[in-house]
Amino acid sequence: MSESHAALAEQYDYDIIKKFSIMAIVWAVVGMAAGVYIASELTWPFLNFDIPYLTFGRFRPVHTGAVIFGFGGSALFATSYYVVQRTCQTRLWGGGLIPFTFWGWQAIIVLAAVSYVLGFSQGREYAEMEWPIDLLIEVVWVAYLAIFVGTLMKRKQPHIYVANWFYLGFILATALLHTFNNLAVPIGLFSMKSYSLFSGTQDAMVQWWYGHNAVGFFLTAAFLGMMYYFVPKHAGRPVYSYRLSIVHFWALSFMYMWVGTHHLHWTALPDWASTLGATFSIMLLLPSWGGMINGIMTLSGAWDKLRNDYVMRFLIVALSFYGMSTFEGPLMSLKDVNALSHYTDWTVGHVHSGALGWVAMISFGSLYHMVPDLWRTKMHSDRLVGVHFWLATIGVLLYITAMWISGISQGLMWRAFDDYGNLQYSFVESVAAMHPFYMMRAIGGVFFLTGMCVMAYNIYMTIRQGVRQADAATQTAAVAAA
Amino acid sequence: MLKNIKSEILETNVGVLLVATMIAISIGGMVEIAPLFLMKDTVEKVEGVRPYTPLELRGRDIYIREGCYLCHSQMIRPFRDEQLRYGHYSLAAESKYDHPFQWGSKRTGPDLARVGAKYSNEWHVQHLIAPRSVVPESVMPNYPWLLTTPLDYSDLQDRLRALRITGVPYSASQVEYEQNVKQFGAATAKELDIAQAQKNLIAQAEAGNYDGDHSGISEMDALVAYLQVLGTMVDFSKIKPEDLVKYR
Amino acid sequence: MEWAWWSQAANLKTLGLLIFFVTFCLIVLWLYSNKDRSARLEEQKNIPFLDEERDQEAKDKSNG
Repeated sequence: MSESHAALAEQYDYDIIKKFSIMAIVWAVVGMAAGVYIASELTWPFLNFDIPYLTFGRFRPVHTGAVIFGFGGSALFATSYYVVQRTCQTRLWGGGLIPFTFWGWQAIIVLAAVSYVLGFSQGREYAEMEWPIDLLIEVVWVAYLAIFVGTLMKRKQPHIYVANWFYLGFILATALLHTFNNLAVPIGLFSMKSYSLFSGTQDAMVQWWYGHNAVGFFLTAAFLGMMYYFVPKHAGRPVYSYRLSIVHFWALSFMYMWVGTHHLHWTALPDWASTLGATFSIMLLLPSWGGMINGIMTLSGAWDKLRNDYVMRFLIVALSFYGMSTFEGPLMSLKDVNALSHYTDWTVGHVHSGALGWVAMISFGSLYHMVPDLWRTKMHSDRLVGVHFWLATIGVLLYITAMWISGISQGLMWRAFDDYGNLQYSFVESVAAMHPFYMMRAIGGVFFLTGMCVMAYNIYMTIRQGVRQADAATQTAAVAAA
Repeated sequence: MLKNIKSEILETNVGVLLVATMIAISIGGMVEIAPLFLMKDTVEKVEGVRPYTPLELRGRDIYIREGCYLCHSQMIRPFRDEQLRYGHYSLAAESKYDHPFQWGSKRTGPDLARVGAKYSNEWHVQHLIAPRSVVPESVMPNYPWLLTTPLDYSDLQDRLRALRITGVPYSASQVEYEQNVKQFGAATAKELDIAQAQKNLIAQAEAGNYDGDHSGISEMDALVAYLQVLGTMVDFSKIKPEDLVKYR
Repeated sequence: MEWAWWSQAANLKTLGLLIFFVTFCLIVLWLYSNKDRSARLEEQKNIPFLDEERDQEAKDKSNG
């Protein structure tokens, strides 16, 4: 047993995957807690406590940074290193670069969060990190690309499995987006402050080209890589159609890059650009749903497992939310719908149905599948996985329902006229009307966060159990040898 | 036969997969972004838009530092309700000196693109210190420290120089100064002179007395100066609507 | 502005649709046109399961 363990340990580099998996869970708890806090600030503003570091404006990037780059990023590093090794049947390439990506990435998340509360911000959504942190990201990312490509090159298997295509696409696109969106002129070598190279309309275009493709590649393509490995693996059946997954990949890679401008409908951006964005957004529905169907059909032979396998439930719910939000997205990119939905909570709800329903759920499923394998043990408690599943599902549903109602009512209140052709509501009346829904959203967040804490506890106990079993095995072996 | 070989290459060769993916993901961005830099009619030619004065710029830095853009947009859309609530729809020209742009994506609070000159300085100060003392239903945080924190303008010239590199016409030489006189008039050209930046900032803060306190220049002075200039640069009474349509 | 004819709103939808459609058709043709290739491609979906055999081999070797 211990010898086989050693042989396996030699075969794959599991150490780095373990580290990233643990940090994914830590950042999920931190980031979601920050999310619940800022949601509460919007409900009960006294929670800002007149402390600069806690105000909504400085704390919101802490939330987005910790969940997207901390939780999402760490989960992607962990699963991509796992998938690329297991589908190439080779050990990770890269030597010292491998731990560098771990420590570098964790440093980035911490530095970003600290710099935000201290008031350093580029003022670009989802890319608030100032230039020194951006440079660090660049270096870590190149190392990541090198490791991934290096591992692919020494594979023992002639074919590159499609999950790796998605991961590769995500790494390349993120490098491209990050580089161009963060072009800026620092005010000095020893100052954190910089001004972006572009201005006004051009800057808006670049920012939302980045902003939407961060969703498209960081939060979609990469997690599809996760889906194409863990869904078949957990269901114990190969993916429904491999050819469909190839169509999915090329269509997604090609089309996503066009759609960012749908964030700029009716603005000072020339109309042709946002129309083009909307057109591609609608066409994007096809490959997105192709991918969803591919995933669901893969699971469809294993429906019997759904009854007692909560990991399976996480995967199927994740796919359902993927389908739901990739339908909602094109809908919101229609100019007439966008006229109502833009600037409202509907957008926030849409993002969270993708982020909580798809990204987080597929990560939970994958981590629940991967962690027992990494530590060569079983989940500490399958029942707690079930508890997590229900808390998370109820949390997402509360959240997005609240945001649908508040978003659509905001949109309608802002454009309502009275009989004399005057505006019917002042702006602040719409703010006051949102209060109950903001409370509902915060409660939804609490549900999701509680589920996350249950997962953290369950994973902690699982790891402890795995380590103890391994120690016991080593001792038995030592005794036997003596 | 040839086709067969091709397909094998794509699936089995990392380099080819890498290049093909790179091409697929580059086209969209190039088609949409490049023309914005090349085409002349992206940004309207209107009178009045000028770079921020040193004090307004520091105010804008504070606006960005506090993350105001996360709840307030600065982009009015061409709808009747927005026209009534906020004013004339925003022009591309109005944010052409904004590094970075602050159009925003969410209105938890109202749009601020034309908030300038709508409220008094006193109202802004009171509203920033304690929003609920003026608007009871507001969910905005209090910003009392803006009034008590002295404005740091020691690195002001570095800031203007960095912006000059990005293309904002702050003047660093006599030639550039003359050019600004021609483009913006003598009074504005003086404000854009990098060498005089500190002096200009102090003069504007003292003359404007935005925070109602003469004892020194606070961050509140700068932020209110910025808010008060938002959307006021273009005089729409002098512009015919049909001149703007072709830019849309 | 002759060279920017494709940026005119009137031409855009048609052009975008055309580019997308042709590319899409090419990919689908490439994928589904040849029986051998289809069979070979679908073979690849078993790659995630190959590692289980290897796990087993590793265990067998060390135990044996």
